[in-house]
Amino acid sequence: MTQNPTLTRRPISQTAKVLSLTPRGKNLYQLTLKLATLGPFADPGLFARLRSWGPAPAAYPLLDRPFSIHRYRPNQGELDFLIRPVGLGTNLLTQCRLGDPIQLLGPLGQGLGNLIPDYKNRPFYLVAGGVGLAPMANLIDQSKGPNHLFYGEREGQSLIDKAYLTSFAPNFTAVSEDGLGYGEKGLVTQSLKAALERERRTIFACGPQGLLAALAPLARSYGVNCYVAAEAYMACGLGVCLSCGHYLVDGSRIRLCQDGPVVDGLLMDWEKS
Amino acid sequence: MRPNLTVQIGSLTLKNPLIAASGVYGYGLELADFCPPESLGAVILKGISLTPWPGNPLPRAVEAAGGLVNAIGLENMGVKAFLTKALPPLKARKAVVGANVIGRTLDDYAQLAQILAQSPVDFLELNISCPNLAQGGLSFGSDPDQAARLTADAVKKAGDKPVVVKLPPLVTDIALLAQKVIDAGATAISLINTVPALVINPRTRRAALGNVTGGLSGPPIKPLALRQVYLAAKAVKAPVIGLGGIFSALDAAEFIVAGATAVQIGTAILADPGSPLTILKDLFDFFSQENIPSVPSLRGTLKGPNEP
Repeated sequence: MTQNPTLTRRPISQTAKVLSLTPRGKNLYQLTLKLATLGPFADPGLFARLRSWGPAPAAYPLLDRPFSIHRYRPNQGELDFLIRPVGLGTNLLTQCRLGDPIQLLGPLGQGLGNLIPDYKNRPFYLVAGGVGLAPMANLIDQSKGPNHLFYGEREGQSLIDKAYLTSFAPNFTAVSEDGLGYGEKGLVTQSLKAALERERRTIFACGPQGLLAALAPLARSYGVNCYVAAEAYMACGLGVCLSCGHYLVDGSRIRLCQDGPVVDGLLMDWEKS
Repeated sequence: MRPNLTVQIGSLTLKNPLIAASGVYGYGLELADFCPPESLGAVILKGISLTPWPGNPLPRAVEAAGGLVNAIGLENMGVKAFLTKALPPLKARKAVVGANVIGRTLDDYAQLAQILAQSPVDFLELNISCPNLAQGGLSFGSDPDQAARLTADAVKKAGDKPVVVKLPPLVTDIALLAQKVIDAGATAISLINTVPALVINPRTRRAALGNVTGGLSGPPIKPLALRQVYLAAKAVKAPVIGLGGIFSALDAAEFIVAGATAVQIGTAILADPGSPLTILKDLFDFFSQENIPSVPSLRGTLKGPNEP
């Protein structure tokens, strides 16, 4: 079964400009772009391909890099990304200077609104692992709530700047596995379980696959829905290369770039890739 | 005078020599907003097998050496869905469509040729060179006699459809392989497929790809591809379709000079889905600026640096 067989929006290819690049913690940046063309970027979980370097083969890397949309301010024509430099592409993007042109292709994929059209009015438990925090801000910005964010990092020193987190997330629980930084020691799944004991809510999550996989049994045992923004290495983001194919529990396959990245976490086969 | 970029592949006339390579253009409509299929000489769709194939474990693609190493494993919807779902909207747009044919046995190829002979596809491309299959694929392309047998069987079943055979890069004698498949009845050959490759993370001692090995494509393989196209084109009179790292009109022109009648664009489409249109426009400009009236006037004109 393919969840969303048709593309509901057309991606736009445009040259945006770097408006600001703000450090938001150790090895974490908020990249704000001034768009040349507005687009339907608001739906939480959508992503875009970015390129701050020249065209291939003269400039490397060969391919654009995909990033989840962090926040969108259509009235200002501004689009934010949350980027952690880990490789060549992310390093180049977080070394941009103000005014630099950025090639942007997006929005890509299917967001939360495709599965829950009235997501703005629903109460959520938001679960973010690491830089999976990015799309949560987009939902919180639009949500009439109530919602609570559970945000975890493996190392407490990697937690996003607390003042910035507080600025967009009024209700959050931050945790880290080593207990350092401002987070409590523990796992987001433990905090989430305690919250589910008190009140059941739909889950929206983004983060490493191990986290997303761990949420499914938890959601099942409390009888709540669990939507996740999943990720995979991908070459095109447009549904043609099939680098990001993923199995569903019924044995069928989806392309995370087009049928996702937001999918029903309970339908995903996390054991099989 | 505006150059004439039409080319002939057997009975097939292409309005220009640019073809979207199999695997990067999906089933023909996904990228239509960026590069309409009817704007190109032809589009070759995702490799198609008798039944749907699930492909290889993730990860399936990783960058290396300025190129891309992939091991998708030919995930595809199977020929039945291909004919009922993918093909009709594409043919309605008047695109010239090639079906890339994949199988695990010689008989798979013949059966697919027979099915596709009755369909509206414009030509077949027999893929005997994919490095990412445990059975079939590359093993057929590595043995000239087996490649010839496979080609002869498929051509017999393909009716009046032109049959292109897609060759691998690493063989003992590319000229011999080219001759054998043309003698077996192929209309044309296309080369090269991706180059077998391996990407390793030395800290984890793990392969980057789920399939462990994959196929390298993109800019790093262009010189290798040019040499194989040059040798193959010298060996056969039939048209040669060149591919491997074409990112610009000048890259395309190099392949034509080496002996190609047409070229395929692959990895460049992943880097920029609109790139074939840019290449097409630039190719017209190149032919105009160089006063070359047509593709045949440029084809196979390679000389050594000191030749008069």
